[in-house]
Amino acid sequence: MFQISPQLGSQLVDLCAALLLLTCFAIVAQRRLSACVDLFALQSVFLAATAALVAFLTGIHHIYVAAALTVVIKAVVLPRILKKVIERLNVSRELQMNINVPAGLLVCGTLVILAFYITQPIIPLGFLLTRDSLAIALAIILIGFFTMIARKKAVTQVVGFLVMENGLFLGATAAAYGMPLIVELGVFFDVLVAGLIIGIYTHRIQDAFDSVDTSKLTVLKE
Amino acid sequence: MLQSLALVVAQVILFLVVSPFIVGVIRKVKARLQCRRGASLFQPYADLAKLFRKQPVVSTTTSWIFTATPYILFASTLAAGLLVPAFASQMPLNFAGNIIALVYLLALGTFFLILVGLDAGSAFGGMGSSREAIVASLTEPAMIMSIFAIALTAGSTNLSTIVHKTALLEGIVTDPSPHLMALAALFIVALAETGRVPVDNPATHLELTMIHEAMVLEYSGRYLALVEWAAGMKLLVFLTLIANVFAPWGIATSLTPAAIGIGLAVYLVKVSGLAVLIGVIESMFAKLRLFRVSEFLGVAFILALLALVFFYILRG
Amino acid sequence: MAWPLLVLIAMPDLAGLGSLWSRDRRLAEALQCGQAGILVSAALLVVERVATEGQASVDPFLRADAMSAWMDLILGAVGGTGTLYAVGYMGEELDRGRVSLRRYRQFFCLFDLYLAAMLAAVNVENVAIMWIAVEGSTLSAALLIGFERTKAALEAGWKYVILSSVGIALALFGTILVYYSSEHVLGVTSEALRWSELYRVAESLDPAAIKAAFVFVLIGYGTKAGVAPMHTWLPDAHAEAPTPVSAMLSANMLAVAVYAILRFKAVVDRTVGSSFSGTLMVGLGLLSVAIAAVLLLVQRDYKRLFAYSSIEHIGIALIGFGLGGAGVFAALWHLLNHALAKSAAFYASGLVLLRHEHKMLERVPGLLRQMPLAGGAILVAGVALSGMPPFGLFISEVLIAIGAYAATPGVAYGLLSLLTLAFATLLYQVLRMALGEPLEAGMALGSRNQTFMSAAIWLNLAALCTIGLQIPARCGTLLGAIAPFFGGTMEAP
Repeated sequence: MFQISPQLGSQLVDLCAALLLLTCFAIVAQRRLSACVDLFALQSVFLAATAALVAFLTGIHHIYVAAALTVVIKAVVLPRILKKVIERLNVSRELQMNINVPAGLLVCGTLVILAFYITQPIIPLGFLLTRDSLAIALAIILIGFFTMIARKKAVTQVVGFLVMENGLFLGATAAAYGMPLIVELGVFFDVLVAGLIIGIYTHRIQDAFDSVDTSKLTVLKE
Repeated sequence: MLQSLALVVAQVILFLVVSPFIVGVIRKVKARLQCRRGASLFQPYADLAKLFRKQPVVSTTTSWIFTATPYILFASTLAAGLLVPAFASQMPLNFAGNIIALVYLLALGTFFLILVGLDAGSAFGGMGSSREAIVASLTEPAMIMSIFAIALTAGSTNLSTIVHKTALLEGIVTDPSPHLMALAALFIVALAETGRVPVDNPATHLELTMIHEAMVLEYSGRYLALVEWAAGMKLLVFLTLIANVFAPWGIATSLTPAAIGIGLAVYLVKVSGLAVLIGVIESMFAKLRLFRVSEFLGVAFILALLALVFFYILRG
Repeated sequence: MAWPLLVLIAMPDLAGLGSLWSRDRRLAEALQCGQAGILVSAALLVVERVATEGQASVDPFLRADAMSAWMDLILGAVGGTGTLYAVGYMGEELDRGRVSLRRYRQFFCLFDLYLAAMLAAVNVENVAIMWIAVEGSTLSAALLIGFERTKAALEAGWKYVILSSVGIALALFGTILVYYSSEHVLGVTSEALRWSELYRVAESLDPAAIKAAFVFVLIGYGTKAGVAPMHTWLPDAHAEAPTPVSAMLSANMLAVAVYAILRFKAVVDRTVGSSFSGTLMVGLGLLSVAIAAVLLLVQRDYKRLFAYSSIEHIGIALIGFGLGGAGVFAALWHLLNHALAKSAAFYASGLVLLRHEHKMLERVPGLLRQMPLAGGAILVAGVALSGMPPFGLFISEVLIAIGAYAATPGVAYGLLSLLTLAFATLLYQVLRMALGEPLEAGMALGSRNQTFMSAAIWLNLAALCTIGLQIPARCGTLLGAIAPFFGGTMEAP
């Protein structure tokens, strides 16, 4: 069994977290729906790698379980469901957005800075291993949130939601060394069910409105 | 003194020799991914040799700029190459300039290329020039900022110092997150600046959307050879920069023969690896429409900006 | 071992799965009626137990203290009548051929799981498992809201799923932040997620982290509670969901979300004092009351009308909790009375909806004459909801206003003027429906289905009127036990 010095370990975890953040930016800039889903799958792989790294460095073994679940659910099952949904759609790329890509990127940049600003007073509290991870986790959550606002297509809004979940999971594993196993399992179950339910809704919206453009949902207003 | 001179000569030879090889590697990877056997890795050398033997044709409507540009471009790119540590972290020319000099040496070449596109007065050349101007104006801020982010981590704008410091660090790098963002930004900039997919397609002279090829459409013979060689060197400069600034491990930090030998070998492996990566990217992605290029480069700009901001926040 | 607590959470699960598997409609009905009875009695037993012994627990997961017991009372009582009502309502839909028997069974499965998730959320001992349970209730509610699959229902469901998923994600981040700071005191164990441990060590937690956590929790669970400005999903969801679900959303789910905020508030108050959380909650509460009071006036859909009234009342409760002291007592009392009155109002609206098959307010005047029970229930509930005596909501609103006056008179003036506006608009709209001459004849309801629904309405109104006149002794004990939890010493008046 080889050892990694804590400092190197901390850097590796930060590096993985930064990779997650990079894929976020790629998702924000990507217009093709299927590519967004692929990028989400890639992000989940990075997430699993981060979790496995934390598990290895801390010796908390149940985080390995969480990492394995991440790969299965977020990198394989959910992307596959989303791809199935996309296959049924009549569009493959998103041309109209509520906020266009360059402006969106600027907003995301601001969100990252905001996340660092918010977590700055909390970070010194953290473990050595996880200096930036909490800030990056919050940044990913905010960017996922932003994606849900900026996009009109139901599928990309779902991707935004899942990105938020990835941010949460990063926060839980990297910053807090993972929640207890039963909690992780519960959260995973919920995420999976949420993904399924949102998938069901996308299907039904496609059937009822002949589109997954959520800006066409205008039956209800004051 | 003699040692410095030897290093300069070695680096010049290295850049001249390796750049066509890198172009060959990318072409080979692309061919393989398209299930073709592809030309030999050394085909670019043969191409250059052939072009040098041919007589150039110069349009009567062109000015002195047309004939001078290939030499200026070649010389400025080679000079830029001398500022980047390749196999040894201490470069003899480091007194002559730093990152900023590097960026503007490359920009000088671009500037003359743009002039040449306009000089011949052909429609294609003009189009290529205006597009190149757009791309260059978008890449430059991103490039400067990503490099500054790195310079801040090392506390110097001198490339040799940056590389030397990073190579001697324990652990990977000082601050992984800004580093990674700057790396991603610089990689995008490199793709745009050297005219690769998804910004430009170097493999065709037939697309209405070409940029670099449109500007140099009028060149032939030895002029074309020089321009192509310079383009190859520019690519190599960027690859060297990415490889050594972000992953300087294995570079010779002292001037012993053994260290230099290892440094050379590691360097070749690193740049070939990056070339393979570019080949893969060129096969996987389609060229972006011109007005989408600004979004692509916007990503680079934002990432570079974030790298800078991160640095300030982390250092408090 | 506190078996009523276990029964309370297990019963809806069993009844729900049983209904899904039962081939026969009568069997499902029997199961649901049994569940309704057991829910109410189990809730009362839990209240009894907690009132006498201080707590009821099933180690290591469940522990009901006074506050949980209070929520059990609300959820059990309204959940019971709601189940009864759903039997009648869905029975009518089934008889009219608007849902198939398969979908009828699915409905009850989802409905019961939804109740179970909420009951679990208020009784679990673990912060994160509470989150899981709340998320579970969100997901089952999401399917219930879109149950009718019309365009409007899908739109409402989609808005709900998206907004509450975002909210719940932010709440989880808040939870993670709490864990992040508590594990520095308690170590990396699941102990660091237990409410009782958190309260014990709250004073030594990191103030900055806990403050940030509370902001995320308030926004996150606040979205689920329909607090302005995150309320936009609420009117749509309440209006488009099947009526029994609207009643459960308004009476129960909003209260559960407020409960979650309260639990965290208790931690934050111990760490940084109560003014931080109090100011935030009073601010959001006032904003909610203001938005709801204005929008009540322009509603043309009677289910939306009651939905906006829910936003108003949750806002009032938040102000009460934010003020602390007697405000906490009043706000808890407010939640119970609001749950009873609002579910009665929705039950009655459901009857109207079944009869007229539209939700347009102008076209259903003269309800008192046309449908005496529904019209009467809407009138009584409307009077209660607009804060008139002799109902509990009057007492709680007065107490909250007094508390606000003692703390910051400005808040009291704002609150009182908004309450007056809301009072006038709600009463005006309710009277428009209750009085006058009926315009349309509508469709008759099956008498059997009518019986179930009437029973639910009668039970609710009876409970509402009884507790309006006098606070029962057990409730007084519970409320007295909760007040110190928030640093107050208020005795039941």
